[in-house]
Amino acid sequence: MSDSQAIAVDMRGITKQFPGVLANNQVDFSVTRGEIHALVGENGAGKSTLMNVLYGLVHPDSGEILINGKMVHIGGPRDAIGLGIGMVHQHFMLIPVFSVGENIMLGREPVTGPDFFDRARARAAIAELTKAYGLALDPDARMGDLPVGLQQRAEIVKVLYRGAEILVLDEPTGVLTPQESKELFGVLRDLVKADKTIIFISHKLKEVLEISDRITVMRRGKVVGHLITKDTNEEAIATLMVGRAVLLRVDKAPAKAGEVALKVDNLTANSDQSVPALKGASFELRYGEILGIAGVEGNGQSELMEVIAGTRRASGGQVLLAGRDITTMDANTERDAGVAFIPEDRRGTGLVLGFSIAENSILGRERAPSFSWRHFVLNLIAIRNWALRLVKEFDIRTPSIDVAVRNLSGGNQQKVIVAREIGSNPKVLLAAQPTRGVDIGAIEFIHRQIIKERDNGAAVLLVSAELDEVRSLSDRIAVMYEGKIVSIEPPDAPEERLGLLMTGGGTRAGAA
Amino acid sequence: MPLGSVLLAFVVDGLLVGVTGGNPFAAYGALLCGGFGFICTQGENPVLQISNTIVFVIPLITTGVAVALPFRAGLFNIGAEGQLLAGAIACTAIGIKFSSLPSPILLPMVLIGGMVAGALWAGVAGVLKATIGAHEVVTTIMMNYVAQWFLRYLIVGGPLQLAPGTSKSSPIGAGARLATVLPNDNTLIIFGLPSSVYRVHTGLLIALAAAAIFAFLLWRTSLGYEIRAVGQSQKAARYAGVSVRRTIIVTMLIAGAFSGLAGATEIAGVDHNLTDKYFSDSTGFDAIAVALLGLGSGVGIVLAAILFGALHAGGSVMQADANISGNLVFILQALILFSIAANFVGAIRQRIPGLARPPTALPPEMPPAAPMMTEAAVPPVES
Repeated sequence: MSDSQAIAVDMRGITKQFPGVLANNQVDFSVTRGEIHALVGENGAGKSTLMNVLYGLVHPDSGEILINGKMVHIGGPRDAIGLGIGMVHQHFMLIPVFSVGENIMLGREPVTGPDFFDRARARAAIAELTKAYGLALDPDARMGDLPVGLQQRAEIVKVLYRGAEILVLDEPTGVLTPQESKELFGVLRDLVKADKTIIFISHKLKEVLEISDRITVMRRGKVVGHLITKDTNEEAIATLMVGRAVLLRVDKAPAKAGEVALKVDNLTANSDQSVPALKGASFELRYGEILGIAGVEGNGQSELMEVIAGTRRASGGQVLLAGRDITTMDANTERDAGVAFIPEDRRGTGLVLGFSIAENSILGRERAPSFSWRHFVLNLIAIRNWALRLVKEFDIRTPSIDVAVRNLSGGNQQKVIVAREIGSNPKVLLAAQPTRGVDIGAIEFIHRQIIKERDNGAAVLLVSAELDEVRSLSDRIAVMYEGKIVSIEPPDAPEERLGLLMTGGGTRAGAA
Repeated sequence: MPLGSVLLAFVVDGLLVGVTGGNPFAAYGALLCGGFGFICTQGENPVLQISNTIVFVIPLITTGVAVALPFRAGLFNIGAEGQLLAGAIACTAIGIKFSSLPSPILLPMVLIGGMVAGALWAGVAGVLKATIGAHEVVTTIMMNYVAQWFLRYLIVGGPLQLAPGTSKSSPIGAGARLATVLPNDNTLIIFGLPSSVYRVHTGLLIALAAAAIFAFLLWRTSLGYEIRAVGQSQKAARYAGVSVRRTIIVTMLIAGAFSGLAGATEIAGVDHNLTDKYFSDSTGFDAIAVALLGLGSGVGIVLAAILFGALHAGGSVMQADANISGNLVFILQALILFSIAANFVGAIRQRIPGLARPPTALPPEMPPAAPMMTEAAVPPVES
């Protein structure tokens, strides 16, 4: 905390009605100058709306905003920037083929003469900023070549370059490794020392507890709690967020691992860009266990899952399902063989968004005997009954099974996929990012379903970008780095060790 | 929404008529008479007008289905016209070659022959799309030209030409013809005219069946499910194990069969031979409008086909009675399409307070350009 206790941001009684949803309901939100203030809440709680109001992207129906004690009107991002408010989006707003310097300057380029980009002055300005805040960056590097952590740093420098005093960071650690997150927190602390104010949006409660000074909790458009970080804990925040007590730890009995279900041997495959992404991955997965794959995104996990599921062609190696070679099978044949797949991109690949819940519940099985007569005429009654059963068993919150899944919340969309895949009683369940972007309540539910599936004897292969999720669900952890499984670890392996292995550090340490 | 677009088009067209010195009310009165036989002032026979309209409606329904089905699969079939011509040519060729066969054998032969020809014509575009990714809009348009000029070759100096100097083929055998609804008899007087002038034929039943089959196929079968899944999200369909390529090819084959059937019923039901009328036929293009206006549903397509059929039939009456060029009908057609495409009605509704429907989507959580940029911005992580 800085010496001054002035209020940097004071939003009073902000109300914003969207069609069908009161996104912000009389929200009071104030941030002291020089603090790190966490804004937490589930998806749809109204955090983004509130921050979009602050950044001028959304105009509130009522309420007032005071910046540094002065009443302001924020008509658009330009006004917000003028008031010293900077936004670091979850999805970077960077141009990959531009240099770091060009990206930072974009829109505010120093020019000489009529309109010539002044490279020297740009470089000097960036050097000054990076030095002042200890943000090491090479202004001449091509943005697309930088790791995600450094791209994010460039985003922060970009915002600072535009004179931001108040920085809003939207889910900044979502794409970072544990090490990168640590570095980010160091940067944030330095910024606060330099009297900047930071609003930190997150749903990862551990991080919130680690980095913030105070916490505002939102639920269903309302503020439900103002907390002081050092006086609270994870359970208390989660309870406020969800509105009921939540089981944060995953309760599960020890695994009773059986025969080998899936044997993956030296598997290789190319990415969508036709470069090798999977470079000889090998492991065994047994019935009745959950094998979690930990790794920084983009190290071949997606390709691994897709090859096993039959939606991507392997360029070499083998996949054996209970001894039978399924390497070249297509998705349909594999589903018939008992392999279920929860794909990572639920909106893009897991669901047909314009289809109803009932229609989505048979995606891939529209020719199965249980849903069609002679593989041709759909049995609408059977499909309805099936969908009704899934909605009930998997607690999908919807007015009817005829609702297009596009209109469901992210958590309920994911439940539709989980229900469809688990509901078919698979022998092997491939779960890629099963809880990404899903509410805490739904996460809890999906986790329980996956464990139930394991206890019923299914073999579960889990890929998740959330290390916590991998650690809490898995019976064994396979660490993936650059297209290979570099190590198999027990679930209680320390986070630091996993983090090192995930970035290739562990292997180097082992080799030395 | 489509109804509003149609109304808007009529209003604008009426203004055009007024501005150019005509009387829009007289024009639309004549159009109504010509299309539906209502309020005829110049002694037209209402039943004849309705019969004429139905003759236009029949191929519009079938080709409308041929555009709507691929549309559901995310494919734009601009080639219904070419497929129709292929069907008409096959129907004629078979109908001439086997002209001595009895109707129960020959009629199915010419209709199925037309369907096969249309399916093959569209299948070329489907296979090219599925294998090398050639855009179906381009390939189907090109196939239209091939069909049109092939037809021209056939009946102008080619093997199907009836006699030197003519531009038509010899007629198909009697067994290849579809019966007219009313007996083809010059002596029988029905509604004050010889019954042979009523050209409405039993192809109407075929067209209605096509619309019903279309609806059943799309909503009640596994194939229809897959077609719709591919149309909405190829990726999700592929992940679920649906063969996107196969679905594309099958969809185009079925669509082509519908168009080919339209061509065959035109020959078997109306013309009985290939003529130069087909050089400037535009049924397959009007079908695009019918499919869009009908919102891709079976009933909608039938209703839209009736509207466009009535416009066609009414155009000549408008010219004769109101002394307004029949070409205004084409302007009207274009305006309807234009109005649907630009969604003027929706835009107007938005502007008028009280009428405004809430936007269906929540405002984006971030500027819309963001997702595209992130996809490109996140490279494989190296440490």
